[in-house]
Amino acid sequence: MTASDTSSPSGNHVGSWYLKGLRAAVGLPALILAATFVGIGSVCEAYGMPLLWAVLATILVWAGPAHLILVGGLGTGASWIVVAIAVGLSSVRLLPMVVSIVPYLRAGRPSFFTLLLASHFVAISSWVEGLRLLPGVAPEGRLSFYGGMATGYLTVATLFTVAGYAISGVISPIFGAGLLFLTPIFFLLSLLGASRTLGDHLPVVAGIAGVVITAPLGDGLELLWAGVGGGTLAYLGARALRRRGRV
Amino acid sequence: MTLIGSDLTPYIALVLVGFLPSEIWRWLGVIIGQGIDEASDLFLWVKAVATATLAAVVAKLAFFPSGTLADLPIWLRVAAISLGVAAFFGAKRSVLVGVIVGEGVLMGSAWALGLTPRG
Repeated sequence: MTASDTSSPSGNHVGSWYLKGLRAAVGLPALILAATFVGIGSVCEAYGMPLLWAVLATILVWAGPAHLILVGGLGTGASWIVVAIAVGLSSVRLLPMVVSIVPYLRAGRPSFFTLLLASHFVAISSWVEGLRLLPGVAPEGRLSFYGGMATGYLTVATLFTVAGYAISGVISPIFGAGLLFLTPIFFLLSLLGASRTLGDHLPVVAGIAGVVITAPLGDGLELLWAGVGGGTLAYLGARALRRRGRV
Repeated sequence: MTLIGSDLTPYIALVLVGFLPSEIWRWLGVIIGQGIDEASDLFLWVKAVATATLAAVVAKLAFFPSGTLADLPIWLRVAAISLGVAAFFGAKRSVLVGVIVGEGVLMGSAWALGLTPRG
């Protein structure tokens, strides 16, 4: 630790911000993650992947949809390049997600490398909860707080990947379908729950409508159309509402 | 069930076609995000695109799923989502109530109707 670190009060509180973040990870989102990764762990077992592979996939990929595409693709013998493209397309969403959380994370002036490391933890759960909680955290504590919350989520997901892998054979199909249904229903409600104004609700509605409208085109780019197209329309709509003073 | 396996190929595939195609977007996000001010219009636009994309992912998982969930009929999934959202708003925006109602409708009807996903 250098002299400048000890003279700054923030340097001494990194640990306590981390613990606060870890505590914030205890809650409904962690429960949903646990159940979701029981589902994903059991899918990995069903496709004949080793347990260590399932665990490393949870930690390294850290994106539910990409994880399922990866194990499904490799498990059915699809070519690597096809799987890589499918995974890449499903993860394009991580770009705007990271861009919109970085302004909070860089508030304490971390190094570029630290930010790259922190960006690995960006996934649906930590993004939704991060955008909700980070504005209320002191700027110098945001990165550590986020690190605590996100490593808490990752730990839960990893442990329950193992659990799901272990009980794969005994999960009834209806229960398995219920586990896979948890992610969409929970995150849809979380997005609605994080929306306060009419302008906040617009991107959620636009994204859903966008997929329903463009998925039948069958070009595989519906997430791009719905995200960029729907998001842009929602942004313009929210701006028009703000200008009229209706917020 | 295999603990580690003797074949390294799945692990190489994990890094090359699982980790890298996902992680590259995160790295690009950091590079682009460093130059954006959180009060700017550009930031509001990116946030709207991120939110819409997430909502789109969620809709795709629910309405155009793969795996076990795809074996349950679309009307059942639409009903579960709709009633879950209705319960969420009805219970003063409680996410927990919405999830329980949505899951209850999905698994309860599948069980009552004797629908069995192939698994």
